[in-house]
Amino acid sequence: MTEENGTMDLESEGCLSRQVVVANEHGLHARPAGKVAQQAQCFKSSISLVHQDQEVDAKSILDILTLAAGPGNIVEIRATGSDAEAAVESLERLFASRFEEG
Amino acid sequence: MADIILTGISVATGIAIGKAYFVNRNHQAHLPRHTIAASLVPGEVDRLHEAFATVEAELASIRKQVPDELKSHGLLIDTHRTMLKDPKLSGAAEEYVRTLGLNAAWALEKAVSDQEAAFGAIKDPYIRERMQDVRVVADKVQVKLIGLDNDLSAISSRAIIMAHDLTPADTVELQVDKIMGFATVRGGKTSHTGIMARSLGIPALVGVDKLEDHIHDGDLVIIDGLAGKIVVNPTETELEDYNERAANFEIYTRKIKRHCQLPAETFDGSRVQVLANIELVEEVATVIDNGGEGIGLYRTEYAYLNRIELPTEEELADKYIDLAAIMSPRKVVFRSLDLGADKFIASYGELNETNPAMGLRAIRFCLKNPQLFKTQLRAILRASAYGNVSLMFPMISGVKEVRQAKAWLAQAKAELRREGVQYDPDMPVGIMIELPAAVMIAEYLAQEVDFFSIGTNDLIQYSIGVDRTNHHVSYLYQPLHPATLRSIKLVVDAAHQAGIEVSLCGEVASDPFCVPILLGMGIDSISMTPQAIPGIKRIIRQTNMHDCRKLLKDVLGCRTVSRINNLVMDNIFKHFPEEVDFFSSLLENDESPT
Repeated sequence: MTEENGTMDLESEGCLSRQVVVANEHGLHARPAGKVAQQAQCFKSSISLVHQDQEVDAKSILDILTLAAGPGNIVEIRATGSDAEAAVESLERLFASRFEEG
Repeated sequence: MADIILTGISVATGIAIGKAYFVNRNHQAHLPRHTIAASLVPGEVDRLHEAFATVEAELASIRKQVPDELKSHGLLIDTHRTMLKDPKLSGAAEEYVRTLGLNAAWALEKAVSDQEAAFGAIKDPYIRERMQDVRVVADKVQVKLIGLDNDLSAISSRAIIMAHDLTPADTVELQVDKIMGFATVRGGKTSHTGIMARSLGIPALVGVDKLEDHIHDGDLVIIDGLAGKIVVNPTETELEDYNERAANFEIYTRKIKRHCQLPAETFDGSRVQVLANIELVEEVATVIDNGGEGIGLYRTEYAYLNRIELPTEEELADKYIDLAAIMSPRKVVFRSLDLGADKFIASYGELNETNPAMGLRAIRFCLKNPQLFKTQLRAILRASAYGNVSLMFPMISGVKEVRQAKAWLAQAKAELRREGVQYDPDMPVGIMIELPAAVMIAEYLAQEVDFFSIGTNDLIQYSIGVDRTNHHVSYLYQPLHPATLRSIKLVVDAAHQAGIEVSLCGEVASDPFCVPILLGMGIDSISMTPQAIPGIKRIIRQTNMHDCRKLLKDVLGCRTVSRINNLVMDNIFKHFPEEVDFFSSLLENDESPT
């Protein structure tokens, strides 16, 4: 996929994106990844996470783990679909809360 | 002769005779791999998803039974459930059924391989390790698909559980009243299997090689936790022998337990404190039941294992305060964290040590990571306000290390004082003597601390230079090696010279053959697995110091282990004929391999 295509995707109708920081101590490890996947599964939209040119399905814990996003890394949330806005917001909140870890 | 006799590491003593019942068998060797007709594909896809759903439902119901104190187990089960629901795994497997016409179990195996490839490329060792979780989950589904299902909750009659490995989730699921013993291929001295078996009072062996090759479901097996043996399909005579042995052991155990609350005092009035080694606060009941006079070694590692984040000070203090308060006024000796960097992959990155036993571990690791160290020290200090608490540092090699560790302790105390938090300012501080270097400078170290605790398991390994889990050299691991005995003697003498107490924790302390020698040296206390306490107290009460000193003098004059073994055997035969029967196997590995 060329750079141009990527931009096209982003601009196509209904696709929202937002950048978030992985702010918890250990990065997107099993438990945070599980929480993201569980939450993403609540939405109809197709949702993905992008980190260092790698785009993965946000509904898959395994995919999220393979991102290996560490503490302090920036991750982009992308969502396309009827409830894309709610999805992006809810995931953003989850990242902001550091995945609700004590 | 029996079909075969396997050996393993005994993590819980006793004898059990029963039918083998396999759980968590390594089923990969028999994974069916075939293609299916196009007409059958939809049915196979349904079967695949049903298997996923069944496993998920099972885990969901197990999750509900996980008690709060096992929170990390619960979270692990949550992760597994999320993986089961992950379209990447079930979806990829479905694709392989549809496009390649593979049977469901094989298709899932291919999906797992794809994940392995994806995970293998990741640098973060913690995330690479999560592949094990994918494997666990896939195994559970495959077992359902193959129909090899051995539902842990469906054990119909009393059985001896055989497993490749037992996970915390399994132990929640097992119907404990039906289980007579355990044997696993994986696992070491401090594995979950051992903790559970000891709490149930049933024998368990871990590290049994080739368990799955030699034992089949329904085989009659004898688990001998005294000798670390499994006898498979014994002959009539062997069975009779073991039945009698098991019955005698039961009678003996009951008999010695009746007197276990009496003090450990020799005929001629010498008192030795008999303490317990524990890993979980829950073990305290067993300690008190068995006549333990305190906790001589509280291993604090468990709270740090099987989890991602480090425990917080609050979490540790909660546990530690409970332990100190329940045991009070009895003593509790906390050993500061005795783990290697390899156990903290998530938090500290990979070190790739070629020889972790001599690497960054125990006190070395703590001194390198003062934040982690101080969190634990603060928690222990806080507990000291609630009972009779002592602290000791493991793997000390020199005076400077002791001083550094004590400096952190002083800093933790100063912080607590400023914050107005209660602690015992006079909490005794000691060190473990486990390295030959510490033995050689024991007289200097004695000037720095309030007590010594000799950790013989490591001391023997380091002084003889033998890894006892290494089958090629384990025969050299000899508690009664003249070097071991001289080392212990040197340390006891140095401690007493300096006017401090010396304790011994390690298997030697629960070895009826060694205890009279330790008494002869004048050891102040010995600490052992709770189950061993009644037997050792009995030996102490039936001996007198005069004989012990004589025995010590004789063994110190011996040049070989076999000479020493003969002497202690003679001593036991003379004074404790009953014990010989149950413990003679402890002395069996004194010859070189044949």
